[in-house]
Formats: sequence, structure tokens, C-alpha cells
Amino acid sequence: MSESYPKKYTIKKTEKKVLKKWYELLVVGRKLDERAPNYLKQAIGWSYHAPYAGHDGIQFAVGQHFDRDKDHLFPYYRDMLTTFSAGLTAEEIILNGISKATDKASGGRHMSNHFAKPEWNIHNVSSCTANHDLHAVGVARAMKYYKHKGVAITSHGESSLSEGYVFEAINGASREKLPVIFVIQDNGYGISVPKNMQTANRKPSNNFSGLKNLRIIHCNGKDVFDSMNAMAEAKKHALEVGEPVMVHANCVRIESHSNSDRHELYRDENERNYVSEYDPLAKFRRMLIRYKRFTEKELEGIEEDATKQVKTAHKKALAAPDPDPASIFDYVMPEPYVSEKYPEGIHNQDGEKIKLVEAINKTLKEEFRHNPDTFIWGQDVANKEKGGAFNVTKGMQKEFGEKRVFSAPIAEDFIVGTANGMSRFNDKIRVVIEGAEFADYFWPAMEQYVDSSHDYWRSNGQFVPNMTIRLASGGYIGGGLYHSQNIEGALATLPGVRIVYPAFADDAAGLLRTAIRSKGITMFMEPKALYNSPKAAATVPDDFEVPFGKARVRREGKDITLVTYGNTLIHSLQAAEKLQEEGIDIEVIDLRSLVPLDKEAIFKSIKKTSKVVVVHEDKVFAGFGSEITSTIMEEAFEYLDAPVKRIGSTFTPVGFNRILENAILPNTDKIVEGVRELYKY
Amino acid sequence: MMKKIGLFYSFNTNKTARAGEKIKNAFGKDANIEVLNAEKVSEEEFMKFDNLIVGVPTWFDGELPNYWDEFVPALEDLDLKGKKIAIYGLGDQKGYPENFNDGVGIFASIVEKCGAKVVGFTSREGYTYEHSAAERGDQFCGLCLDQENQARLTEKRVKDWATQLKKEFN
Repeated sequence: MSESYPKKYTIKKTEKKVLKKWYELLVVGRKLDERAPNYLKQAIGWSYHAPYAGHDGIQFAVGQHFDRDKDHLFPYYRDMLTTFSAGLTAEEIILNGISKATDKASGGRHMSNHFAKPEWNIHNVSSCTANHDLHAVGVARAMKYYKHKGVAITSHGESSLSEGYVFEAINGASREKLPVIFVIQDNGYGISVPKNMQTANRKPSNNFSGLKNLRIIHCNGKDVFDSMNAMAEAKKHALEVGEPVMVHANCVRIESHSNSDRHELYRDENERNYVSEYDPLAKFRRMLIRYKRFTEKELEGIEEDATKQVKTAHKKALAAPDPDPASIFDYVMPEPYVSEKYPEGIHNQDGEKIKLVEAINKTLKEEFRHNPDTFIWGQDVANKEKGGAFNVTKGMQKEFGEKRVFSAPIAEDFIVGTANGMSRFNDKIRVVIEGAEFADYFWPAMEQYVDSSHDYWRSNGQFVPNMTIRLASGGYIGGGLYHSQNIEGALATLPGVRIVYPAFADDAAGLLRTAIRSKGITMFMEPKALYNSPKAAATVPDDFEVPFGKARVRREGKDITLVTYGNTLIHSLQAAEKLQEEGIDIEVIDLRSLVPLDKEAIFKSIKKTSKVVVVHEDKVFAGFGSEITSTIMEEAFEYLDAPVKRIGSTFTPVGFNRILENAILPNTDKIVEGVRELYKY
Repeated sequence: MMKKIGLFYSFNTNKTARAGEKIKNAFGKDANIEVLNAEKVSEEEFMKFDNLIVGVPTWFDGELPNYWDEFVPALEDLDLKGKKIAIYGLGDQKGYPENFNDGVGIFASIVEKCGAKVVGFTSREGYTYEHSAAERGDQFCGLCLDQENQARLTEKRVKDWATQLKKEFN
């Protein structure tokens, strides 16, 4: 069809044994596709099935061009034939469909029709349509860095091109010149929404024609040969030129979007017949006969074998074990790095104190020297003498080079998503990112945060992104609504991520080292008001490590426990000094880690004091303190002599004028006042 | 005297078939035209004629319909030297302005590669669209009909085209 690529595969010249293999795959694939809804009707499973019929050409071609030893494939929920053509067996397809424990993608944890085989780098992706484009770009960044000859292939429908993060991904691949093939399977619909509701361009890939270093190839996704030739050219280009390609494949969707959709409600009979006539499998079969490559009898033989193959696979899959309910807590988070020298995260070293910002900068540099497979990027992190808005990354690019330390585009989701993707190249890689210039700007990345948080669980322990996400957090700098936010409460509700919020320089250094050496995701919240504060300065041993989930008693006392972290740790310590003058003896616990939470340290102190105030900078209402308080009430109620008191921000945004900021944020005086009240109880 | 004309279009279509009938009629009763079903076209049938008129509508976002697309591998191996081929197609300038009558252009390129001379070029004047594979300079390499938006112009366009082809054919 297209003149822009050679006709490597044709009906006349392709070897008969090759055509036979192709036809077998196409027929078995289609039988699986047609059979899938029966499992739901029989209440066996496969409640989500998005039929691929009509996409046969391009899906087959993508699978055939995937090299499991070199490439990475990110299929979407309609890519049954893609993954089958890439090597999954019929049994493996059904095991995913009916969510068995032996499902290669996720052991029955992820939705049906999300076919994957992580051991071959056919990745288990989210249902959040096309957000795996960012992962493909990330893994391609690693391929380029490590000079690996392979491609990242990511695939989805044309409607997904409306997603902002898809633009971020394509723009990133274009800017960085990465070997990514974006396969756009255009069937004209996003569920019931026709593509003219997505964008003005009927060929939505052409919206990207202004991007440099991006080749756009249009092909007929309903035609096996044209799709094979287009994919061959795309792969050749990505490998040889090392730049991204977009393959836009025209398809038809013969059936409804999924088994919860009824296309009769929005497509007339004429249209449904029209797309059925364009059945790619029927076309391929007609070609085999027309050009006398096979006889009718030969094809019928292949079709009979396919039926048998699917039946056998069906029987085996039905007999496979179901997941064990006791396994639900497996693979929520990987085991962290274990500190042998500092098992409690405490040291007794005296000496020169360094500030928080210096401690983080120093530790980053030490870890980058220690592990050559470390990378850092984020907004504004590296440009000549500048190393971030607060100089946290100062000097890093100079020492470690532009390939390991670089500024990212203003695209927070891209920053996080490509870190996730780069981690997929191998598990030695550790990525540190500034998720946003300020925690306040992290919200656009929440989509990738959510997705990454359950990667480990969703893949049944087969993949976890190894990344430390640093965020300059909190207020007290007169920053207003968008330079003062604390977002840990919103983050903590999602399982799968460790959240730490140190205040002192030594704890920050120790936790950062542990985070970078551990597998999994750590949110590393930095109280930016303390970066240069002498109050948070500390002596930091060179090899200091702080394990996750280990609180630290920063001040011992017997009357009241203050449980706190971040900026309010400093306020709490100051309040304790003032209250000491009044004869109230305060114990101050710095949680350091919020997830996992050191409940034992809290309970131990409460057993001694019987009264507790939970203090944090974030809003009292629905802040992380609510979780701490509920935990105390539920598990340590009998040790309490008074209700748990909470001190934090008002349930308002943070105002810019210092008068407003003071009225909103907690401070030393407010803590003193609160403690006095509780003391009287 | 003009040699026999082979007129190929799909008998399963409505608009393309009707346009084919109109073209046949425009040549007049005396014209020697054999109408063949493009759905079942063979190499032998195609080679039988020195003058061909071919109906190629555009499908989806700029594709040949299946019956022609499946014939392309056969067509590409034919030696069409000495043949004159006129192509007509149907498109929708407003609904699909990105690929108006692409089918005509795609088909023309294939037969030209095989040595045929494509005849029946027409003016692009009076059409409004964004892109067409049928463009050759300021002309279309065939007759581009638009029953969706310019049905009233079809009669005259067909008539003028038939008059033109009578002069251009072998």
C-alpha cells in the first residue's frame, strides 16, 4: 500500500512454511479471541475481554518483530494476538483470561486481557490507557545509555493519543532520539466515541508530524503483509538510525469495545457489516487461495488443528490452580537494603555539623560514586553551576556527566514514568528523581505514582521500579499555595511505596542511602525550610544508614509524647524546651519513616507517658496524623490517660502573606498551647 | 476505430457501480464496452484489453478496497506497456478531506509502474479538500466523483470525461 517502505514480505514470494506458521498463529489467535466471551457466560472468568478482531495484521506483525532477547514490548489490553504472535502459548493466554495462579502476567492479580510475560520483557502494563508509552521511553533511554541494540515497542489505540502523557512520551523520544516504536492501532473508536471527538485530524498520528527525529509510517493494519513490511521498516529504522518511529495502522473493530459494551447501540447494521467485510483473517485466507499458495483442504487442515490446540489449552488452563488468598500480602513492597552497621539508624558520632542540603548533596554524590548505574533527573536539577532550585544537586552533573545527571522537560508524569521505564532494563539501575521542583507540582505525576505503586504487586513480584523520588516539601518560606504543600497524606493511602520525611541532616543522609540501595520506590520528602537551617544541621558519619520504619527518640521525657516528623520536629523540640521550664517533661519522637510506620516506638513511649500529641505540618483533617491517631486509639488505648491530641494546619490552603501563613501552619507556640491543654486533662 | 474498452468495477457496490453505468452510457450505444466485476478480476481478463476504465473508490482513511488490494500482487507482475488505463473513483471531500480519492492515485501509481499509460486526467478546479494521492500537479490522474457533496456535478463530469477518453484511448 505505502511506497515509503520496501515490500519484504509478499503473498507470492514468502516461503510456504512461513505462511503456514503465520496462518496457524492467526487462526489460533482468532479462535481464542472468539472463545473468550464464553468464559464469562459460563461464569469461569475473563470478565474483561477487548476483542482484537480487525486488528489482526498489525498485531501479528508487532509480535513477529519482537525479539525477546533484545527488545521490550508494552502491549495494551487489546493485544491478544500481539502477545500470542510474540510467543505466548494458547494456554498462557487463557491462564491470564481466567486469572489463574500460574498466569505469567500476574498470577491472577491483574485484570484479564492484560497479557504479559515479564521474563521475556513483554511487560505487565496498567489499564490506564497508553501510560506505558512513558515506560517504553524510559527503557529505551537505558538501551541508548548502555549501547544495547534493541527497541522498545509500545502499542495502543488511536484515541489514547489524546492523553497528555502520550505527548510527553513521544516528545521525549523525539528529543532524546530513542529507539521506540509507537504502534497506533486505529480502529476509529475509543469505546463508543468516534475519533472525530478526539482530535480534528482523521489521521491522528499526523498531529505529531512537527516533531523532529520522529518518522511516521502509515500502514494497513488489516493486511498482514503490509503490516509486516511496515514493522520491518520501523524496526530497521529504530535500530539503525536509533530514532523513534510511529506506526499508524488502520484497523477496524469488528466487535464491541469489550464485553461490557454493545456496539449495536451506536453503530448501524451497515457499518457493522462493512467492518466485518474487512476481516483481515478472511482477507489473508482469500489471498492464500487466490495466489495458489494453499489449497482449501490444506487450510481446513490447519483450522482443524487450531481448534484442537485451543481445546487442549482450555483443558490445561481450567485445571490450573487458583491464587491463594493467603498470598495477598506477597509483593506489596520488596525487602529493603539492610544496614548491618546501623540497624537502628542511630549513631554517636560527634564533630562538625553539616546542613540538611549539604547532607543530601553529599550522600547523592557518594552513592553515585558507589554505584555507576545511578541516574538523576528532574526539573531544573542540572545546568552548569546550578543544581536545582535549592542547590541539592549542585556539582553532580560536573562530576557524573550529562548522561547520568540532567534536567528533564517540565513534564512531571514523564519524569516519573521514564524512571519506572528505565528500571525495567535491569535491576542494578537506581534512579533518583526530583518528582517535581516542589512537592506542590507533583500532582500531574500522580498517574505514574499510582501505577508504579502497584507494579510489584500487580506483576506478582516480577518487576518493581527502583526509584527514589525526592520532593522539596512543606512551607514556612512564605511560598503560598504552591510552594508550601505537604502531600504525604495523599501519597500514603497507596500501598507499595515507602515514604520517609527526615528533618535532621544525619537522618536524611542515612535514609537517602538506604533508599538508593534498596529495591522498590521510596518517596523522599525534604522539608525545604530546613535545607539551610542550623537547627537541622547534624554530624553525619560518612557511611551512615537509617533503615526504613525506625523512629528516633530525639528527646526523652516522661509526661507527654510528641509524635512528629519534618518541619514540626524542630518546633516540637523547641516547644519541649519551653515546656520544660513549666515543669512538663516532653518526649519527642521523630518518625522519620511514615510508611512503614514504627508503631512499636510510639507505643513504647505512650506506655511511659500515657499522653500523646500527634504533630505535623499538614492539615489535621485527613492528614497522615489521622492514621497515626487511629492506630494509637485502636492498638494502645489501654495505655492512654487522655484522648490523642492532633496539631497541624487548618483545613485551608496556605496563604502567601506571612500573616496568613502564620495563622494557618502549626508552630512552636501552637504546640506549647496544645500540650498545656492536654497536660491538664 | 477505438479498440474495445474493459470497464471494471465491483458489482457489490452501489455508488461505484452506478457511476460505472453512467460512464458506459456516456460513451453512447455504439461504444464497444465490456463490463467486468472487479471482485473476481483475473490477470487474463485485465490483459485482454488495451483500453481500460477502472472504478476505484477510496476506503477508510485512504485505502484501496479489498478487491483491488488483493489483486495488486498479481497486477504488479503484469506488463501493461501499450495499455491506456482511465481511473474513476468516489470520495468525500468534506467527510474525508485528508485522503480525497486516494484510491485513484494509489491505483494509478501501481499501473504506471507496470508500464501502463494513465489517461483521463481532470482539472482539480471546483474541489475543496486537504490532501489527495490522486493529485498530479494541478490535475487529478482520473475522474474524482463526490456523490456526498457534489452529486449534481456528476452527470457533467462523467459526460466530459467520456468525451475526453474517446480522444485519448487507443
